[in-house]
Amino acid sequence: MKKTTKPRKVVTRRDFIKGAALGSLGIALYGNGRRLFAKSGPGVALFAAENPQSTIVLIRNEKAIGTGDAINPAVVQEMIDTALKEFSGEQDAAKAWAKFVRPDDTVGVKFTRCGYMRVHTEQPVIDAIVKRVGEAGVAQNRIIAQDGGLPVAKCTVLINVPTVKVHTLTGIAVSLKNYINFSPQPSKYHAPSTNLGEIYLFPEVKGKTRLIIVDMLRPYFGPGPQINPLHRWNYHGIMVGTDPVAIDSVCLQICQVKRKLFKGEDWPITPPPDNIFAADKTYKLGTSDPAKIKVIKLGWEKDFLI
Amino acid sequence: MYLGADIKREILLFAFIFLVLGPVPIMSIHRHQENKTTSAAAAFALLLPEEISGWKESRPDEVYGRENIFDYMDGAGEIYLAYDFQFVFVREYVRANSPSLMVEIYQMSSSEDAFGVFTQDLDGNEVNLGQDALYAAGLLRFWKDKIFVRIMADKETAEIKPVIMKLGEIIVAASPQEGIRPSLISAVPSAGLRPKTLRYFHTLISLNSHYFLAGENVLNLSSDTQVVLTQYEKEKSRARLLLVAYRSPNQAEAANKQFVKIYLKDKALPEGKVQSNKLEDGQFAGILRRNRFLIIVLDAEALPLAEWLFEETSQKLEEEN
Repeated sequence: MKKTTKPRKVVTRRDFIKGAALGSLGIALYGNGRRLFAKSGPGVALFAAENPQSTIVLIRNEKAIGTGDAINPAVVQEMIDTALKEFSGEQDAAKAWAKFVRPDDTVGVKFTRCGYMRVHTEQPVIDAIVKRVGEAGVAQNRIIAQDGGLPVAKCTVLINVPTVKVHTLTGIAVSLKNYINFSPQPSKYHAPSTNLGEIYLFPEVKGKTRLIIVDMLRPYFGPGPQINPLHRWNYHGIMVGTDPVAIDSVCLQICQVKRKLFKGEDWPITPPPDNIFAADKTYKLGTSDPAKIKVIKLGWEKDFLI
Repeated sequence: MYLGADIKREILLFAFIFLVLGPVPIMSIHRHQENKTTSAAAAFALLLPEEISGWKESRPDEVYGRENIFDYMDGAGEIYLAYDFQFVFVREYVRANSPSLMVEIYQMSSSEDAFGVFTQDLDGNEVNLGQDALYAAGLLRFWKDKIFVRIMADKETAEIKPVIMKLGEIIVAASPQEGIRPSLISAVPSAGLRPKTLRYFHTLISLNSHYFLAGENVLNLSSDTQVVLTQYEKEKSRARLLLVAYRSPNQAEAANKQFVKIYLKDKALPEGKVQSNKLEDGQFAGILRRNRFLIIVLDAEALPLAEWLFEETSQKLEEEN
């Protein structure tokens, strides 16, 4: 008997318009400002696949960035501590950190150092994290803060510390993209980038990410491929969570709103970041469904964009 | 005058090397070609001053070709490779207590592609340099003949902007020829065109970086195709025009059929007939094949605008060919 195969479905722009592609992410790109995220409220719970509700804490402080874009380390430290206390439900920063790292851990702080784009994780953000991990009892020689070449197999814990940038090939680069150089073949995850989530499941990576702390102080919303300073803005934010999919979804939404404000008209992020949707549906790394993402907003309210 | 005798001599040397060698492909590695690339890059090195207003070369110059562009920009090289990029010459300048300066000179095989790379991002203020130039927030970009140039300061200061412009002028002065723009752009109607939206490219990766049409290559774009994408506004309605030139009418017809089937979910009409459908968002999309060209209208807010774009572009193509 002759076998018939169903022709492969090609996702087109029309699928986004109909809301039939990438779920709510499609709406974020083409939804004309439709509200996406659940209202914030009390009762923080860490992300768990069996309990699909993700909580993200987004904190902003006007004083985090000063004249000449200088970052204020003390303010950044305070922002991270406050966000982590809120996220963990602890009153005390030390207790909050103790929920994520133990003295016998080897902690990899995976930051972003992107030479050609220059949207690096700010040093005060890295320093603040390394300081608190040390205070949680981890010896300095077991705290490895690095981008390329981080010895991930040696680490028992990873803290993912990406920046936020719209990206010519992956749509957006935040916590999923930040692990791309754990792969020996990073270009395998560009255009299309649907498989980016699989890196989180590499044996030496899987299950190690206890925290994601996103440097949202100065994100990038432009098209690339290289930086145009016009497309960088001082958002003054730090985001904390454990669900890379939810975090990337929220960052996508913020960048999308910023692009529209900049152009004064729709300017959808392209290519659509299907890696976020695949990280949810294929790799089960978290949720991209706004109804299941609780965003707790703290601090400076001006232009939160979400 | 800023230019000293040494610099003038170096510019003449650069011009001589450049004019004699012309474009230098390094895609296939042959010693002869490597030497040409090295010579062309050396010409850029000689052209640029070692010091300018106190900013000095910080480290040895760098040159990246098609094979190692990812060593320079891992995660973005694909965009340059989608054009006839040959190599990029990179020099950094530093001065104590000042922002650093990065000069990048991209050597392309054709002036059309130097123009195309320039159109990747058109946000910025127009300045009078090269054949088109934009400046904003410490970043100068321009193209002239077969080169595309980016000069960027870490941070913009009142002091650094004139230095950036002067470096740009030095590069422009050493490239006496004007390059031709892609002939395809003269086939798009000028009335109602939003100039900052005009893009010129070849492949799917570039299209996707500007406008997502489909997850697969429904238009069979390749390094052999030429594409102009732009947006129009007329009588308070907007629409996008995607004009694609193929090598042959057969290639255009194959892409036409595929686009109509996958995107319009319809059957292709014969050459010269406009196929136009109203989509889910109330906007119109359509296609028309003229010989080896596809005229595609997308996101048209009003049918008359779409019809006008088909008609005007057809006429212009006829005039051009």
